[in-house]
Amino acid sequence: MTKTIDPITLQVIGGALHAIAEQMGNVLYRMSYSSIIRESQDLGAGLFDLDYNTLCESDSTPMHIGSIPGYMRGIEKSIPKSSWKEGDVVIHNHPYYGASHSPDIGIVMPIFYHGELVGFSANTAHHLDIGAATPGLIIDVPDVFAEGMLLNGLKLYEAGKRNETLWRYISGNTRVPGLVMRDLEAQIAAAELGVRRYCELMDTYGRGTVEQACKQLMDYSERMLRREIAKIPDGDYTAEGFMDDDGRTRGKHLPIKVTVRVRGDDVEVDLTGSSPQVPTAFNVPFEGSTKVACYFAFRALLLDTYTNQEYIPQNEGSFRPVKVTAPLGSIFNPIAPAACEARFNQIQRIVDLIIKALAPVLPDKCTAGNAACLSFASYSGVRPSGDYWVLIEVNEAAMGGRPASDGPDTIEELMRNTRNNPLEDLGMHLPMICDRYEIRDDVFPGAGEYRGGMGVVKSQRFLTPGFMTHESDRNEDTPWGIFGGHEGATAAVRIHNHDRGTDPQDVPAKFSGMRAELGDVVTYLSPCGGGYGDPLRRDPRKVLDDLLDGYITPDHAREVYGVVVQEVQNGYRWGLDTAATDALRARRAQSA
Amino acid sequence: MIRVGVDVGGTFTDLVLEAVDAAGGQRVYTHKVPSTAADQSVGVVQGVVELCRIAGVDPGQVDALFHGTTVATNIVIERNGAEVGMITTKGFRDILHMGRHKRPHNFSLQFDVPWQSAPLIKRRNRIAVSERILPPDGRIETKLDEAEVERAAELFAERKLDAVVIGFLFSFLNNEHELRAKEIVQRVMPDAFVCASSEVVNTIREYERFSSAAMNAYIGPRTARYLDNLQRRLGEAGVNAYVRMMQSNGGVSTVEQASRNPVGLLLSGPAGGVIGGRWTGEACGQNEIITIDIGGTSADISVIRGGDLTIKNPRDTEVAHLPVLVPMIDIDAIGAGGGSIAYVDSGGAFRVGPRSAGAEPGPACYGKGGEEPTVTDAQVVLGRLDPEHFLGGGLKIDPALSERAIRERLAEPLGLSVRDAALGVLKIVNNNMALAIASNSVAKGIDPRGYSLMAFGGAGPLHGVALGEMIWAKNVISPLHPGITAAMGLLVTEPRYEFTQSALTILEGQNDNAFAAVGGIFDRLRAEAAAQLAADGIAPGDQTFTRIAECRYVGQGFELRVEVPDGPFTADTAREVQQRFFAIHRTEYGHAFEDQPVQMVTLRVIGTSKSETLRLPALPKGGRNNPSEAALYARPTTFDDGQTLPTPRFDRMKLRAEDTITGPAVVVQQNSTTIVPPGFTATVMKLGDLVISRSRAEA
Repeated sequence: MTKTIDPITLQVIGGALHAIAEQMGNVLYRMSYSSIIRESQDLGAGLFDLDYNTLCESDSTPMHIGSIPGYMRGIEKSIPKSSWKEGDVVIHNHPYYGASHSPDIGIVMPIFYHGELVGFSANTAHHLDIGAATPGLIIDVPDVFAEGMLLNGLKLYEAGKRNETLWRYISGNTRVPGLVMRDLEAQIAAAELGVRRYCELMDTYGRGTVEQACKQLMDYSERMLRREIAKIPDGDYTAEGFMDDDGRTRGKHLPIKVTVRVRGDDVEVDLTGSSPQVPTAFNVPFEGSTKVACYFAFRALLLDTYTNQEYIPQNEGSFRPVKVTAPLGSIFNPIAPAACEARFNQIQRIVDLIIKALAPVLPDKCTAGNAACLSFASYSGVRPSGDYWVLIEVNEAAMGGRPASDGPDTIEELMRNTRNNPLEDLGMHLPMICDRYEIRDDVFPGAGEYRGGMGVVKSQRFLTPGFMTHESDRNEDTPWGIFGGHEGATAAVRIHNHDRGTDPQDVPAKFSGMRAELGDVVTYLSPCGGGYGDPLRRDPRKVLDDLLDGYITPDHAREVYGVVVQEVQNGYRWGLDTAATDALRARRAQSA
Repeated sequence: MIRVGVDVGGTFTDLVLEAVDAAGGQRVYTHKVPSTAADQSVGVVQGVVELCRIAGVDPGQVDALFHGTTVATNIVIERNGAEVGMITTKGFRDILHMGRHKRPHNFSLQFDVPWQSAPLIKRRNRIAVSERILPPDGRIETKLDEAEVERAAELFAERKLDAVVIGFLFSFLNNEHELRAKEIVQRVMPDAFVCASSEVVNTIREYERFSSAAMNAYIGPRTARYLDNLQRRLGEAGVNAYVRMMQSNGGVSTVEQASRNPVGLLLSGPAGGVIGGRWTGEACGQNEIITIDIGGTSADISVIRGGDLTIKNPRDTEVAHLPVLVPMIDIDAIGAGGGSIAYVDSGGAFRVGPRSAGAEPGPACYGKGGEEPTVTDAQVVLGRLDPEHFLGGGLKIDPALSERAIRERLAEPLGLSVRDAALGVLKIVNNNMALAIASNSVAKGIDPRGYSLMAFGGAGPLHGVALGEMIWAKNVISPLHPGITAAMGLLVTEPRYEFTQSALTILEGQNDNAFAAVGGIFDRLRAEAAAQLAADGIAPGDQTFTRIAECRYVGQGFELRVEVPDGPFTADTAREVQQRFFAIHRTEYGHAFEDQPVQMVTLRVIGTSKSETLRLPALPKGGRNNPSEAALYARPTTFDDGQTLPTPRFDRMKLRAEDTITGPAVVVQQNSTTIVPPGFTATVMKLGDLVISRSRAEA
């Protein structure tokens, strides 16, 4: 049973596990109803062993990857392993018992093989509405109880039989039962699939072989990450930034401080020095969110799947070398009953600051300042029938410039990786219409040898009165440039009324339960990434491209990049003046 | 009836001719000529003319020409398509740049975003105009500003763009604005390739529809030029056959249809190989097959399960990471083939491919100026490719040039013997191919131990057994004509046309008018398909149609394909579609919500016709082992384990059914060479295909 598995079988089982997780994720998002799951794919799914080690996880949204073991450890406080029965389905979302945050409902099923508990099949998905104080999302609420239903390790099915009372309770406490209950059924279908496929895998290869292979695959992933950590010089690396505010106390910045301690092939992320916990929902659950962000940062930095050819399985092994510390009572490890639903912007900044801290020793692997935020917009209203409609939308942002390439524009960066909702699909179902969805054109890109990515501008118009909550940040702390690159741009949120023709008014990044009038248009402009390297080293042809594509002006090309253009008659208006550019750049180099 | 199949690969153009006389007597001839990269039609026509001469027929006697081409794909891969302009809705200039805003890698900071770094349409050429169509009924909120369209077209003309896409939001509900804008652009730019997104794929979801249309326009002008050249050259050579193009969905279409909608040709090249692979598998009694078509430049991998081609869900179809919503066979291509160049990189690492020497200059041994060693040169150095049998002796190769290239470029810099360097080239290229096979089988839960590996393409059977061992395949098949399996596949295809229209309709609680409207759309799509089949000369009695409704529960985002029963679309039809949807949903996801309303999203009609199939003669029964009648000579040959053994050559054309060849052996034929290493036995099947497995001591 402890015999080492041959490499072919190991690859086959590794591939099969990966395929099972992918299929679970596919069933979940293809079968689900709410756009936050079916289009955005804000979900995670996988298989876990008896010690809650992740054996495999679907390649969906990084935030969910690595969060599920926390759910299971939390569930164990109400359901010890001896109490599981075949056919049980447990529902869980308590943020003080391991959940990532309360709308991310976990569904866990035990896997019994020949009558013996051998592991768990589980998934998490972001639910549209769990009956919180405001529809969809919340910011300014007093405590965790205002987040809505708290489901702490409850058996939704007991030995295959559905608990109809609990089912009706959940259905009666969400604003959109038609979506939420179907999405739960999709989650259950995905978990059942995992149970079935894991048993089939054991039928094919034998339980001993499968379990040994899982162990070896975890060891492999751990070894690969440790090998990379060991290459970083030992030391303490620190970076700092701040969040705009907590959504209630306007003007009061919240400091974020990250210290990365590298010792041999171990690494610790210490968040001491960051803000104390806040009185709104702008806190971060420690187990299900803070730790997961730190795991992500090292995988993305050190085992970058674009630059590394070897496939490294997604499992527990990659979490082991990373230790996370956050003082109890801080924004990253709040004390119950503090609310902690609105946590994404903060964890994005953990990752960005880890990158910034390590940039001096990882210049070829880092990025300039990313947008490192999240605009999470909840639009809702009541239909003439009296039913609610709710839409949660994730607005993308941009990345900083990179060692060999520009920062991507209008993209899901860092911990998030959802898909946008097709405007045509939304338009068919909701009393809203999108008036604008383009690249921002009110700011220049963060200049650099490799420029920062450009953010998005999106305007959504209410076709009926409704409500809106916006969870966002980074209207104030600008994404930084690096190694001579210039800084990017901050975000902005503006509201005007289309029908009455009012002027746009700037509003804070976070607002809760705003009552929207007919014709109100909410415009979000995302941050833009910082530049990497000296703009005077940017290839003049790329500067010309940026000019022709409307990102910069001839004056900006000359002043910032030292690139001179001249009028040409080919329909594009501008061409390079190479001689003048060389001369200007030479003068700039001399005076520098 | 004389039919010719022509498959153009990166290096060679393969041809097969089948002549059936009035008495039903059948002859099959094959041929191979170097591909002509600058204009593939030159090689095609040269090959057809030469093949006719070989077969003793006049080019004018050929009735039908079936053609698989990589022209469209190469344009995308090499990014040398048209400079395309786009006219789109004001406020939405960058839909193609933003995509679905999801990055291609979760765990990466340095990832590339292909639709941003190498866009099909540059931002400067995307011009937004005033117009607005509103959901859910397609009413016009802002009328199209025709003057803005005209100004945009004039600017595009000044910029000398050769293709324009019109893509407006909600055009799947109402494409009046798109068609009007198209008219204006065509008036201003009469020579440009112009298409409206609703004409390319009339489906909901703006990014995917715009991307499909952008791809169509990007490859449109060059593809149309190619097809024109082909028709003209064929005519000049006296070939009056009707021409059918292999499409990505495994069917064939007319040249006119292919010119208008080139987006259907993106997998035209590799599709023939997969179909030929399936057909060969049937002849060998195998229906679980992994096909790998190894050409000079690339290798194409596909999986046949239970005898069925793997067709991708049209929501997942991508080419070069860009969505293209047309039905296509699931084929994965990697840059590894006989012409792949082996080199030592700047960091001192030993690499093979993806750069290829192609046909010009070709491997060093061709003596056409290629100085870099290729995979083929490694085979030559190891004694596996005999000069006198290379392309049947039709192409002269010089082993001394292979030896020199490997010695100077690889062995000396790496401090290896020439033999070890050549073995290293094969080990690396085989490993690359085996990993790609694994990601298309093992990684998708397919255990290759239950599958036959069919290795074809000219170089396929040289690698087959080595790959089969690496992926643990059940056995390895070397088809009778490995070098022209794809061309033969072209002769077993059928015409297949698909027409679609998004029409969101809930199946419950509708009045008869709503169902009649659905029926009307189906009738129109069917009429379009029928017209297309008729244009192909297919009599109405031979046409068959399948009606598909892509359905979901109201509120879901993904559709499942439901076959719609024949006849008028009534409330009964709707109920039947709903029941079928429940069943499919249950199969697919393990659950069905029988109390929930179902919605049809996209309607599709597929028109097909059974066509002629290729029949190869059965071989006489031999039952011999290593038959002396087929033996040629023996020569030292080096195998993957490094052993060099005196190895007999057998003439494949002299083998009979149930003969066995025990390795070490090399089986030679005009267009290919099959390696049977020591410890393996090849068995000749009834049509001449070889099945190679590990030798067993027979009881």
